[in-house]
Amino acid sequence: MEDAKIVGLSTHPEYARWAHRETDPGDIFRKPEALDDMLVLDASHGSFAGLFASSLLAEMGAEVIRVEPPGGDIARKMTPYGMMIGDAGLGYITEGRNKFHITLDIAAEEGKELFRKFARKADVLIHTFKPGTLESLGLGYGPLREENPGLIFTAIHTYGQFGADAVRHSNQPGYDILDQARGVIMSVTGEPDLDPAVPREYKKPLKQGNWMGWYAGGAWAAFGIQMAMFHKRRTGMGQFVDASPPEGLMAISNYVMQYFHMSGKQMPRAGNYDYAVFPYTYVKCKDGFTFISGFSDANWSALCEIMSRPDLLERFPTIRERLTPENQPVIQHEIEQFTEGYTSDEIQEMITVYGKKPDKKGTVVTGRLETPGDVLQREHWSARETFVRRNDPHYGEILIPNSSFKSMSGTPGRVKWACRPIGADNESVYRKHLGLDGHRLKALKEAGIV
Amino acid sequence: MDRGKSHPGFPGDLFDGNSPFGKPEALKGVRVLEVCSVVLGPAACDYLAEFGAEVIKFEGQKGDQMRFVTPYAWFWKGMSPGLEIENHNKYWMGMHVGNPRARELFLDLVKKADVVVDNLTPGRMARWGLDYRDLKKVNKGIIHLHVSGYGSWGPWTGRTSYDAVAQSMGALAPITGFENRGPIKSGVWIADWLTGLMCANAILSALNYRERTGEGQFIDYLQVENVIRFLDWTWLYAFRTGEDRPRSGNRDLAVCPSDLFDCLDGRVALAAFGEEEFRGLCTAMGRSDLLEKYADPLQRLEDGNARALLGQIAGWTGNRRVEEVEALGDLHGFGASRVLEAKDVYHGEHFRERGAVQGYEDPLYGPMAQPCYPPVMSGTPSRLKWSCRPLGFDNRYVLKKVLGLPDGEITRLEDQGVIFRWNPKVPSQCPPPGWDGKSGVRQA
Repeated sequence: MEDAKIVGLSTHPEYARWAHRETDPGDIFRKPEALDDMLVLDASHGSFAGLFASSLLAEMGAEVIRVEPPGGDIARKMTPYGMMIGDAGLGYITEGRNKFHITLDIAAEEGKELFRKFARKADVLIHTFKPGTLESLGLGYGPLREENPGLIFTAIHTYGQFGADAVRHSNQPGYDILDQARGVIMSVTGEPDLDPAVPREYKKPLKQGNWMGWYAGGAWAAFGIQMAMFHKRRTGMGQFVDASPPEGLMAISNYVMQYFHMSGKQMPRAGNYDYAVFPYTYVKCKDGFTFISGFSDANWSALCEIMSRPDLLERFPTIRERLTPENQPVIQHEIEQFTEGYTSDEIQEMITVYGKKPDKKGTVVTGRLETPGDVLQREHWSARETFVRRNDPHYGEILIPNSSFKSMSGTPGRVKWACRPIGADNESVYRKHLGLDGHRLKALKEAGIV
Repeated sequence: MDRGKSHPGFPGDLFDGNSPFGKPEALKGVRVLEVCSVVLGPAACDYLAEFGAEVIKFEGQKGDQMRFVTPYAWFWKGMSPGLEIENHNKYWMGMHVGNPRARELFLDLVKKADVVVDNLTPGRMARWGLDYRDLKKVNKGIIHLHVSGYGSWGPWTGRTSYDAVAQSMGALAPITGFENRGPIKSGVWIADWLTGLMCANAILSALNYRERTGEGQFIDYLQVENVIRFLDWTWLYAFRTGEDRPRSGNRDLAVCPSDLFDCLDGRVALAAFGEEEFRGLCTAMGRSDLLEKYADPLQRLEDGNARALLGQIAGWTGNRRVEEVEALGDLHGFGASRVLEAKDVYHGEHFRERGAVQGYEDPLYGPMAQPCYPPVMSGTPSRLKWSCRPLGFDNRYVLKKVLGLPDGEITRLEDQGVIFRWNPKVPSQCPPPGWDGKSGVRQA
């Protein structure tokens, strides 16, 4: 790679070159894997929280056995507008990475026995069934830990495995929309309550566009599993990890809980405003939207100077004036009067030029709202190999995000393969772990268990 | 725990007792040096701290920027709630590690540490002679994580990133919002919090590996790339169709039905994709015709079908109360939940029972109640011990306990300005008004 591309806008080129050598994507497959001594059973069903958790472990080298019912996980069908490539949808292909795909009917007697045998050898079991499902099959933590005290038994479900709501709603399935609805963040996300310009029908909670409940839930589960694994390496003991995705969202809902505790009041939905930092917002421009900030007094002065609006500086001189829900829509619309006259690139240019002035008042930051199509074209992401493009033997031409752990100097995360069809690894996995020969496997297939 | 509060077959003794303090901590003995400010880096360390890591946080003279970022410019007992949220169980040092004498002290601490985390401009630590190469010289097993918007190298390294920038540059905000309306930023600094969580995951992988081999490593983590990683099918969809994922409000374009519906007295999130779940929903609605018509989940996802079906459900929920729809979900096995707000969770018996919200008495700030990080773990549960602290609050304790410096030497460092404490003129650096000068102080 040419030097200019490595050094970019760095203020310390020598450091950038060194960091590049340490984390060169071209070296990933020559380096060891952090978790390649771990065996993970992922029996999740209809949940990308489970799939994302096991993806993260698989990216770090764990051997993940994806256990699906003989008809396949319903998550394979969770795909935009019903778009399938072979037996898998777009979401599933993205999170099938590095996993061995087997099928097993765990409700059948023989299936239970095989599942128990896997659990005896595994470090981690992940499941997303309704609370009580595995237990009713005799495959709950109680019996499994007796045979394998080192097992890290991980249950992911919207309502968790115990507590008042878990009991009340244990017959409900877990879903991303439920995770987001119960995660508090959704209650404060959406168009601003206190902006008179917003039509009433849009003043309601809004989920994050992606499966944020599932993905955050999966990331928290993986975090718990890795801590449990660390503890197990020191003590030999496994444990029960109860991962309820809404708790993963509410725990990161900024200060809404603290503010309620301290003041007895709740925060309203702020839309693109922010009642703790402002301006720090998305504004309309000629070709879409761009981010703009000028929060501290110095930075706000700079923004007013760039816009040639000294009157705004006079009207809203301190953060006390700029942080009220009444003033923010006013300030927002004043800024937009300016930004709507320019493209995002022109605004970027203006701010860059201002930033080089010796008598600048402060720093203003901007950044365009990138569409997915924009992101896929940026040189930075191709240099960092943020995406993996493959001609997959099963799914054809595909592109998925790379492991975000790929820039670890010692044990980089990686994507070895994207996804596999239902039961594609039955032969090799049953042989490797349970010693089943072709004859026996054939019998299980005929019985509909595999 | 009360066995009646769970399902049959659940080992009721696992989570018994309301206090996590009777159980061990997963990260006990892991020492983390936090050279971070604002939300992302401090959050990464906070996750580790609530599971038992000993986190020592370093601040410059001005203090962490979050000492000044607070809703409505409102402070509580002199403290910024914006600072409180990502800083628990930590030890607070006022020491600018770029100062040459401070650098020596810092490297002495590195010798006795496991992890160093920084979220400064890439290259800043190198300028101070404190990048991974320097740290490794004094401690071969050290794990150094650096996190920034675009990473330590590449065409955009050095560009400034904030949470809202990461949400926009990574295309999260552009896919969030109602159909035919503008993009919407998350109500919280979600790209900071979740990038911090993935940093903690990366650190845990490195710790697990070090446990096997004794080897440390350098980790370059990219905030914007983290947002990209979280966007599920967005990228494969853009790649295969050449089109951008549209904003669709609360409707899930890949799961149907899954949406937020109006009820008589509020709103309910409802989902039923699997065969039994969808049958349950149609039974509850008394609409076997819908079950026949939309039996195939893939057909249901086709845009016209999805809109028609969601319209039917909206008509049905519109005549019901939220609680009624939730109860029908319980009975018939589909997903149905109200939208929870801060007060619901704060007062919710469920979350207190689980330790997901914990109350504790802070020696400086009094009674507190707030979320404690998940997941709920039977063997090594997370816990809240204390809240954020005034600038430089633990200087003496850390230098004495970890480095064994005598009192005279510590006083000298104070006099030379190598270490410092709160400025009485800056209230959000200070202890709460009326502090007795003793509460919360740790004696080494």
